[in-house]
Amino acid sequence: MKNKIKVFRAIRGLRQEDLAREVSVSRQTIVAIETGKYDPSLDLAFKIARFFNVPVEEVFVYEA
Amino acid sequence: MKKNSFYLLIGCVALVLLVIFWYSIENSIHFLTEGAFIIGVVIIYLARRQVTDLVEDERSAKITEKAALRTLQVFWVLFAVFAIGTVTALFRIPRFPSGFRPPRPEELFANAGDIPSPRLIGYLSLGLLCMMIFLYVGFRLYYARKYGEWVVDEE
Repeated sequence: MKNKIKVFRAIRGLRQEDLAREVSVSRQTIVAIETGKYDPSLDLAFKIARFFNVPVEEVFVYEA
Repeated sequence: MKKNSFYLLIGCVALVLLVIFWYSIENSIHFLTEGAFIIGVVIIYLARRQVTDLVEDERSAKITEKAALRTLQVFWVLFAVFAIGTVTALFRIPRFPSGFRPPRPEELFANAGDIPSPRLIGYLSLGLLCMMIFLYVGFRLYYARKYGEWVVDEE
């Protein structure tokens, strides 16, 4: 699964630490998601999308 | 409680347990070391709940879950091999004596040369326990690496 978290963070001028705090995970989890090492749960994916105020499919793109 | 204080506490508990273990051997009081071990684990468990700067999220939970499951999958086979071997030796099943009946407790260790001694069983159990810990740590490191624990980026 690809994601555009880095892009959305850059637009809002957020650090990984800030996003991690907002969605209640560790910074390392945000790093792992951004680098594609870890696919978040639906709950976390929706939390991140809601934080950026965009639909979840804009942040996460499913690749079969 | 801070994370480092918690790790320090674990070290202290381990040290105290070592002293109690030594004292128990010297005085042949095995209940002391068993009781102390349980109390030590409870102390660590309660202290772990007080740690404030350790973030537990879904990724760390997944790493723990996967490592625990894999450890269990491997360990139950090893433990079954050990248990079957020990029980077979204790009950002398390969000989199939006529009128076989399970031995009485006092008969269990009658012929120490033929069957595993309680000390050997103790060493083997301890070995299996160590193996389980190593397996868990190994699987944990593997899954932590797989799920990006040590990935560094530009920030």
